[in-house]
Amino acid sequence: MTKKIKLKISSRLSKKRFRRQSQSGKKHCRFCSSPELEQKIDYKNAAFLKGFLTERGKILPSRISGNSCLHQRSLSKEIKKARSMALLPYTTQHF
Amino acid sequence: MVRYETLVLTVPEITGDEVKHIEKEFVGLIEKNKGALISFDRWGKYRLAYPVKKNEYGVYFLVRFETEEASALPKEVADLCKVKLNSIVMRDMTSRLADNASLVYQRPPSLEDAPTRDVRTFLRENKMEGLLSTVDAEKKSARAESQTPGDEDVDVQEDIDEVDESQVASDEE
Repeated sequence: MTKKIKLKISSRLSKKRFRRQSQSGKKHCRFCSSPELEQKIDYKNAAFLKGFLTERGKILPSRISGNSCLHQRSLSKEIKKARSMALLPYTTQHF
Repeated sequence: MVRYETLVLTVPEITGDEVKHIEKEFVGLIEKNKGALISFDRWGKYRLAYPVKKNEYGVYFLVRFETEEASALPKEVADLCKVKLNSIVMRDMTSRLADNASLVYQRPPSLEDAPTRDVRTFLRENKMEGLLSTVDAEKKSARAESQTPGDEDVDVQEDIDEVDESQVASDEE
């Protein structure tokens, strides 16, 4: 009974550990480092905003794009503006 | 002085007279409220992301103006678009520009900027020279009958195919 029993790690923690070991460095926000790119966040620049949509037209989460909270908010605001002017889709066509 | 900009989406079959009419209405309203017009840009014709009032296409205009702080002008511009120009204007949006913002902006490429493509260039680009003779034959037969608009139909279909292919390619990436 002197031997210590290893506790079971939850799958979430093991995934987290795996992610930390495999990836080199954290995801970073592309807008925080360059003010020129930050100026591109504009509802008129629909071609640029299209890169932050999924195939079906949803806004890409910052978990995937790596945007900071501030820029994700301004980005989603401009995407919603562009949607109301029919520059960007709310969703792709229904089949 | 505060700068504002209004993006106006109009019906695709807008005439030159109607454009002049819209500009005249805007200039009159802005002068009445002691503002100043900065620019009146015509973006051109666009394919809309979704149909608006049963129209697949639309023409965009960007109007920029400046006025005093706490002026009623932005609201009056919205009213003008929604009431007086109701038959021409489908959507409008007025937004305030930041004080230090530059007036340079980027807009998506319009259909009028894109070069017109026909079947022959499409076939050459995709290395289907063998089919060029069939296009010529079709044209000759169309000319002989002088009523069947076969060429246009083929053109549109080819374009759609091409767009689908490019989309698939980008998805795979």
